[in-house]
Amino acid sequence: MLLYAVVPPDAAAPNGAGLGGHRLETIRSALAAMIVEECPDRLDATNEDSQTFAEILCNVATTTPLLPIRFPTMLTTRSAVLAELQAHETAWRSRLDELHGLSELVIRAQWPEPDHELDAASRRSGTSYLEGRAAALRRRDASVAEISELVRDWAREIKVLPSQQGIRLACLVANADMPQLREAVLGWQQAGDHRQAVVGGPWPPFSFVVDQEAESA
Amino acid sequence: MSDATEKWSDDQVALVDLIDRVIGGGVVITGDVVIGIAGVDLVYLGLRLVLAPAHEVDQSVVLGRRSA
Repeated sequence: MLLYAVVPPDAAAPNGAGLGGHRLETIRSALAAMIVEECPDRLDATNEDSQTFAEILCNVATTTPLLPIRFPTMLTTRSAVLAELQAHETAWRSRLDELHGLSELVIRAQWPEPDHELDAASRRSGTSYLEGRAAALRRRDASVAEISELVRDWAREIKVLPSQQGIRLACLVANADMPQLREAVLGWQQAGDHRQAVVGGPWPPFSFVVDQEAESA
Repeated sequence: MSDATEKWSDDQVALVDLIDRVIGGGVVITGDVVIGIAGVDLVYLGLRLVLAPAHEVDQSVVLGRRSA
């Protein structure tokens, strides 16, 4: 049984089929419900499957607040699903209430990295290389702070995501505030030479299923 | 931005981020899972399983070693 999302107990049953072509179902407890699909306990978790899973969640999220389940998660029986619901329903219900009307946007921002300086430094000495790396990390931290400040008026919560290049920030944003945030990021991009920024979403709150304050407590 | 990234459209970059969030975010639940690749069952676990992007797994491995 493939798990999709936690939703409020009174959420309407989703329409359509799931990843495996079977009907999406809703299993309900007193305070929360879970959208599931009955399918074999085996899954070819390809990138296409991940994308389809995301599209299904985005579609469901247009009708109800939800907490996405990490893909791919499967439980073998309905009773196991119900047990998970009952074990976590209070916390999940509370978080669902907090996330009502909010979606996730992911900002990916990049700027020209002086990689050639690092390469040159690495040829000079180990110390020079480490100094170059430290400078790059300081630039990255400064950019995280700059973008965070830029979107502070609209992002209810911000989470820094791992990134190979530049920075990625997940932002929890009210649907009505998204145009302003996008406009601010576009302004940041246009304010500097060769800066590039992409704002992805709106998506279900993949990065915000747990309250960050509670998580860090 | 690297040449490789410059060839990608904004939509493609956003799609990569969406897939990253699907497998790296969300509620983590325990379960029994079989993952198949090319028709071969690779994993069957009746215990806690977390799937995550490789860079996050690397981090958890390092943390695991520190706590060991």
